[in-house]
Amino acid sequence: MADTRQVLADQQPALDSAVTLVAQDAHVIYQVYEDRRAGLQELVSTRGRLRASRAIKAVNGVSFEARAGEVIGVIGANGSGKSTLLQAMAGLLPCTQGAIYARSQPVILGVGAALQPRLSGRRNIELGLLALGVSQEQVEEQFDEVVEFSGLDDFIDLPMRTYSSGMKARLHFAIATSVQPDLLLIDEALAVGDADFRGRSEERIRSLQANAGTVFIVSHRLSEIQRTCARVLWLCAGELAADGSPDEVLAQYREWVGRPRSRPPRQQRQQRRGRRRRQRRRERRVVRRQQRRLRHQAED
Amino acid sequence: MAAQATLERLGDTPSVADYLRALWRRRQFAVAIAVGEVRSQNMHTVLGNLWLVLNPLLQMGVYYLVFGVVIGTDRGVDNFLAFLAVGIFLFHYTQRSIMAGAKSLLKNQGFIRSIQFPRAVLPLATVLAHGLSFLPAGAVMVVIALATGESPHWTWLLLIPLFVIQTVFNVGMAFMMARLTDRFPDMQNVLPFVFRLLFYMSGVLFLADRFVTPETLVWFQLNPIWAMLSTGRGIILDGTLDGVLWLSAGGWAIFALVTGFLVFRAGERNYGRG
Repeated sequence: MADTRQVLADQQPALDSAVTLVAQDAHVIYQVYEDRRAGLQELVSTRGRLRASRAIKAVNGVSFEARAGEVIGVIGANGSGKSTLLQAMAGLLPCTQGAIYARSQPVILGVGAALQPRLSGRRNIELGLLALGVSQEQVEEQFDEVVEFSGLDDFIDLPMRTYSSGMKARLHFAIATSVQPDLLLIDEALAVGDADFRGRSEERIRSLQANAGTVFIVSHRLSEIQRTCARVLWLCAGELAADGSPDEVLAQYREWVGRPRSRPPRQQRQQRRGRRRRQRRRERRVVRRQQRRLRHQAED
Repeated sequence: MAAQATLERLGDTPSVADYLRALWRRRQFAVAIAVGEVRSQNMHTVLGNLWLVLNPLLQMGVYYLVFGVVIGTDRGVDNFLAFLAVGIFLFHYTQRSIMAGAKSLLKNQGFIRSIQFPRAVLPLATVLAHGLSFLPAGAVMVVIALATGESPHWTWLLLIPLFVIQTVFNVGMAFMMARLTDRFPDMQNVLPFVFRLLFYMSGVLFLADRFVTPETLVWFQLNPIWAMLSTGRGIILDGTLDGVLWLSAGGWAIFALVTGFLVFRAGERNYGRG
C-alpha cells in the first residue's frame, strides 16, 4: 500500500486537502460482439476472430477534480457515457487509459442493480447490506429500518420476482441508502416510486448529501440539477463538453439540445485536428456498406 | 503532501495479502450468497429441498439399473451399490461445483457492476453452496453403505478430511474456470464434455484396475478426481488407508487452490466487462 501511495505522490499534480476525487484523462473502452459475422478484411485484421466486435469508447479522456462539500451534476444525452463514467468512478470499470483517484471507496446508487429475483425481500436486504460491507450484527440492527423505509411490510417474505417494478426500485433504494458513504454516486435514482416515496427519498438523499464528502448526481431532469448542484459536468460522446456553474452549463446544454446534430463547443475544437483522418474513415465506411449491400443482393 | 497520500487509484487490484484480508472481511457475504442459493434452488418445486436427497437416490437407481444389472460393470467389486454411490456422489460434487463456479461471474454481473468487493467471493460462495447441498447426498451415501451390509468402521470418520480436501480442490478449479469463462463464455459449452470425459476417466462406474491395461491405468492415477474417489471407496468399503492416494489428493487440492487463486486475482480488474 505504501508503495502505491508513494507513486501517486510522484505522479499527481499538487492537490490541496479538500480534493476528494480526481479523474486524469480517464478512458473506458468496451469490446462488444456485434450480431453479424466478421467480414474477410476484419478476419485478417483481428487474426481470425469469427464474430465482428466493436470497441466502444464510452468514456474518452475525461479530466476533473472534485472537492469536499461539492454536489456535482452530470448531464448529457442518452449514451453519452454518464453511467459508464460513474461506474469507473466507483472502481467497477477500470480505466483502459488514464486513471481515477479517490480518498475513499465511492458507493454507487443505481436503480437497476443487483438483487436476486428468486430470493425474498428479506434475504435480499441481508445480501445487499453484506455486499456493501456492513457486518452481520449491523445488518440485524438496520434491518427493520430498511424494511420500514422501503414500505414493503407484508411483502418482505415473498420472492423478489413477484414484486412490481416500483416495489423493486424502492427496496433497492432503501438498501443502497442505508449506508453513509463519503463519496456518493447517484445514477438517476431520484425518480423512484410513487409521489409519497419520492418525497421521502429526496429527503434521504439530502441527508446523505449533508454528511457526504462529495456527491455526483446523474440526471436528465435539468430542474433538479439546477436546484441541487453547485457544479455541472456535461458529457457528450464520452468527452467532457463543459464543466462549470449550473447556470452556464445548463444554458449551453439547452441550446445544444435544440439542435442535437451539431457538436458542442469544446469538441469542435478537438475535431479539427482529426478531421482529415475521420473523413477518410467515413469514406471507407461508405465503401464497405456499399460492398455489403451488393453482397446481400448477390445472395438474394 | 498529506492530502496526496490519502488519494488512491480506483480499480487497481490490491496485493495478495490485502486481497485476502478484503476477502476475509466479506466472509459473511459469501456465506449469505451460498445459503441463498441453496434456499432458492428448489423453492419453486413442491418437494423443495427434499430434492437434495431424492436427486442422488434417483441417480443411484438409474446407474445401478444400467451398469449393475443390464451391462454389468460390477466385475471385481463386492458391494457394487455402495461402490457406485461413493463414485457418483463425490464425482458430481466436484462437477457441479466447478461448472457452477465457472459461471458465477457471468451469473452475478449485477453485483459486479454495482458494488465493489473482491470478486473471488463469487466462485467461493458458489462452491460453498454446493458443499452445503452435498451434505444430504453424503448422508445418503453412508446410509446406502449401511443398508448394503457394510459395518461402520473408524475410517469412516476420514470422510470429513476427504470432504475438506475435495472442497479445497473444487474452490481452486472454480477460480481458474471462472476467469476462463468470464473471458471466453464459450467455455460453458466445452466444460460438459470435459466432465463427460473425466466421468469415464475417473472410474465412476467401474473398478479401473480390472478394466484397463497397466499403461492406461497411469492416466487414472494422474487424475485428481480418481484419487479422491478411490480414497473415499477405500475408507468406506474396505476400511483401508492408502497413503499415496491421500498424498496425491491433498497435493492436487493445494496446487489447485494456490494456482487458481493467483490466476483469478490476476484477472480481477476485468471481470464483468463482457
